Amino acid sequence: MSSSKFEEVVNKIVSDSPPGELREIYDDLIKITSENSKNTILDAIENYNIQNCIPIDVNGKSIIVSKYNKEGAKFFDPINSVIFSVNHLERKGLDIEPYEFTHPSLEKEQLQDLHDKLQKYLLLNFSGDVSFAVYPILEETNKISIIIVSTKYNPKNFWNGYWRSCYVYDLETKELSGSISTQVHYYEDGNVSFQSGKDISQFDIGDVVSAIKGIETSFEDELDRSFFELNEKQFKALRRRLPVTRSKINWGSAIGSYRLGKNAAEGK
Amino acid sequence: MSDAQFDAALDLLRRLNPTTLQENLNNLIELQPNLAQDLLSSVDVPLSIQKDPADSNREYLCCDYNRDIDSFRSPWSNTYFPELSPNDVQDSPFPSAPLRKLEILTNDSFDVYRDLYYEGGISSVYLWDVNEEDFDGHDFAGVVLFKKNQSDHSNWDSIHVFEVTMSPSSSDVFNYRVTTTIILHLDQTKNNQDSHMMLSGNLTRQTEKDIAVDMSRPLDVIFTSHVSNLGSLIEDIESQMRNLLETVYFEKTRDIFHQTKNTAVASSAEEANKDAHAEVIKGLQSL
Repeated sequence: MSSSKFEEVVNKIVSDSPPGELREIYDDLIKITSENSKNTILDAIENYNIQNCIPIDVNGKSIIVSKYNKEGAKFFDPINSVIFSVNHLERKGLDIEPYEFTHPSLEKEQLQDLHDKLQKYLLLNFSGDVSFAVYPILEETNKISIIIVSTKYNPKNFWNGYWRSCYVYDLETKELSGSISTQVHYYEDGNVSFQSGKDISQFDIGDVVSAIKGIETSFEDELDRSFFELNEKQFKALRRRLPVTRSKINWGSAIGSYRLGKNAAEGK
Repeated sequence: MSDAQFDAALDLLRRLNPTTLQENLNNLIELQPNLAQDLLSSVDVPLSIQKDPADSNREYLCCDYNRDIDSFRSPWSNTYFPELSPNDVQDSPFPSAPLRKLEILTNDSFDVYRDLYYEGGISSVYLWDVNEEDFDGHDFAGVVLFKKNQSDHSNWDSIHVFEVTMSPSSSDVFNYRVTTTIILHLDQTKNNQDSHMMLSGNLTRQTEKDIAVDMSRPLDVIFTSHVSNLGSLIEDIESQMRNLLETVYFEKTRDIFHQTKNTAVASSAEEANKDAHAEVIKGLQSL
């Protein structure tokens, strides 16, 4: 197998992993291949963490890594004023150093204000382990990113849940765009995955936090309706709970009479 | 290949996105080609459909148990399609003549079952001999398959692999051991495709039951007993699995989702706080 094909396969497997189970995926991949593939797998996990905005434990604080707060090989957090490297497998911060926020047009107070409003909203609307971030976007100085991650990992009972919402807000045009992505993995004697998401684009947003609250509350309500609809419509149409006769089948040599009965009813 | 590698591969497939199971299976085999045979024979993937040109193109289901080379044996005409060369067919697995009779009877019965429970879909049963001698009404093994596609958005596959063995303590009692996997996929795209939802995966359960069969009766009566025993057992298993799937898909995953995001609970906590606050105020006023 060529090394580029090998990388492609490892990347695909890692990108298909549920957020709470990367350590196990890493161990399995090492067993299937060998210690030699360690660096390829770790690179894939680094990409995964950045793409999925995975929270990192930085001196006891939970800080999200993303493409927005990446600076070279390090990640910065303007609110906590730190810049750090990451052990992506352990999800821990390393070489933590102080970070001074500088921005051509934004004051730190503006970020802090948004951060505090967001925190209030999250406290009342999220039930998992919540991490969130407000990062300025370096290449586009009029835009900021807002990231919310809520997880509940319960490997002892074979399930893990994950919520991520990620927005970009333009301070000049007042446009809010982004997406919500949620996943549940249930793997007791099986492998069941629930995934849902929504793309968002809204204009003329003055109060970002109340706009996000509106979007996420209606997403949650819509999901509850979808669960109900999928059960009532699609699931029920696949297989009946009992035959039309409302009783279990009379197995044996007379089973053919069901067919005779049906043909007679249909006039065949 | 080592057992540790095989176990690691099964663990991975239990964790990775179940909708891309086939792709992940192929990728694992690319990473470690000597896992191929064991993985292909132990991992259940959604069943594929083939047409039997020898039986008015009637559809049948394909899995590793009715495969030889790249062809699949039809339960209707007992022929492999795409057709194998006469040389290959000589080495292809077929049930012995008496077991083929039982296979026809089992297919007939489960076809009635399919119609009653699925009101559509496809069923196929494949049997194989477990002894050197031809089948005499005693031990045998097989797989019962059902598939129902409602649209591109909902798909059900049932795979029941079973073994029937005479009890060591009594020649009139048989042990029926069934391993069932149901693969269920449901999805929904809404509002001009800006939102989507998917519930997908598989659950596996093992069941076994000892049931009496009167071996003094003629062979065709013994056959009917085996089909009845297997039929009611699989009927019970599917009913239980259907309930389990309903619970896991629509209650369990929803509960877990709400353990990450829950406006109702969080807001009711806020309400409770308000109530508590009101109580305090009342208490103060009554002083």
